[in-house]
Amino acid sequence: MLFLAMWTGDIMFANTYELIVFILNYIGIYDPIYNVFKMFGLEYLLRIIIVLVEIAVLFVFILLTIMFLTWMERKVVAMVQARYGPMVTGPRGLLQPVMDGVKLIGKEDIIPAKADRWVFTLAPFLIFIPALLVFIPLPFGESLIISDLNVGLLYIIAISAISPIAILMAGWASNNKYSLMGAVRAVAQDLSYTIPLALSAIAVVLFTGSLSTVDIVTAQSGTWFGFIPKWFIFLQPLGFILFLIASIAEMGRIPFDFQESESELVAGFFTEYSGMKFAMFFLAEYAHLFSVSAIVVTLFLGGWSIPFLNLIPATFAALVPIISLVVFVIKTYAIIFFAMWLRDTVPRMRIDQLLNLGWKTMIPLALLNLLVTALLMTAGVF
Amino acid sequence: MTWISKDWAMGGIIKGLIVTLKHVFRVGNRPTVTVQYPFERMKVQPRFRGLHAVDENACIGCGICETNCPNSTITIVKHNTNWYPQVNVGMCLFCGICVDVCPMNAMKMTGNYELADYNRESLIYGPDRLLFNKEVNK
Repeated sequence: MLFLAMWTGDIMFANTYELIVFILNYIGIYDPIYNVFKMFGLEYLLRIIIVLVEIAVLFVFILLTIMFLTWMERKVVAMVQARYGPMVTGPRGLLQPVMDGVKLIGKEDIIPAKADRWVFTLAPFLIFIPALLVFIPLPFGESLIISDLNVGLLYIIAISAISPIAILMAGWASNNKYSLMGAVRAVAQDLSYTIPLALSAIAVVLFTGSLSTVDIVTAQSGTWFGFIPKWFIFLQPLGFILFLIASIAEMGRIPFDFQESESELVAGFFTEYSGMKFAMFFLAEYAHLFSVSAIVVTLFLGGWSIPFLNLIPATFAALVPIISLVVFVIKTYAIIFFAMWLRDTVPRMRIDQLLNLGWKTMIPLALLNLLVTALLMTAGVF
Repeated sequence: MTWISKDWAMGGIIKGLIVTLKHVFRVGNRPTVTVQYPFERMKVQPRFRGLHAVDENACIGCGICETNCPNSTITIVKHNTNWYPQVNVGMCLFCGICVDVCPMNAMKMTGNYELADYNRESLIYGPDRLLFNKEVNK
């Protein structure tokens, strides 16, 4: 009954908090718990506990995903290069990330003698925490969202704009020429690619008229002519390509890995880092990969929306949030696989080519895309 | 107008992407060529130059291998009343000259390549570890 109502869209929860409260109510244990808290006048504490549980589940999910992604990256590289990749630790080397973590925790935490200790220590946290905060307005499935901000997309772009500062802090505080050069390159790259990224996202926002990620996803549910899913990739092919290239550049992956470029700068801005601080840069990189792929999916590939909902028999109605989560994860992993696949195929660009591409090609194209979209919207085509 | 002649469809990148995708899904003759070393080993060829072996009955202790060794790896030492070569594997470059110059064809090279050890002393292979008795083996 309950899930059938969710199926038909009669009940939609704004966020996971309301979903949890509804399920607790449905089981019939919300009121006793609430009364216990009310006895001590601590109703707000219950709310805080539920939200903390949500965030803990989200962060555990993200950390597990990051660990899986490090394994997947190595496996994909190995497959491209006709190798096996990690095979010994666990089945097909699945526990390799755990061993990597144990190794990195066991390493000595070195701070260079002439480094700026406070900034040096702060930088990995400043890059790691925004990488996790980006997930807060991202819908993982139907009502599986921590908080549906009405400025969700702006929040995501704003939060990911913190990472250049953290990179510059890390590069400057290391007191090392390679670190500084990597940091300067990374900042130049991030600044020039955030503009086409935001411009092609605005073209999507023109369709939905809302910055909320849930509104963007619901605008993409359903199909045209019964077989083409209503995804924005079909309305915005140029915008999708620009957004994808710009987000791969934002991630700092090959062919745009100038912040790291191990054959020119030793390891870029994290040359001097070791142990857990290095691990935090590493984790932030993969969290960034996951978040950026999730944003691409949310904006252009329909997010968690199931285009062929009518094909699934109604007896599986209880599974809708789970199916939507699975759909979202599959789409996200497709984008992640594309990024890894691209990484194994193409070499690194030159820094002048990167900036030429960003300023002379992508920004004009993004503006053109925005102009055409706005003209079509004004003419009432969509 | 140079921009017009550029490959805007990114044909080169797409071509490369297809090649790597074929590798990922093993399309065509693209097998995994690495060997999971400690668990499986590659077949050692018969002329592989690994650890030395000396025929106990054939060796006359002449010292020709000692004088011809480019790294001065071999020294002739006394072992059970006879003189036999002693090889310092840590210095050996596995060139095989000692095998070629041996007048009695007593010096051989085996397929044993797992020679890593914990200290330099145990890398010096004396006659007790190098000698083999052809007639006993028969």
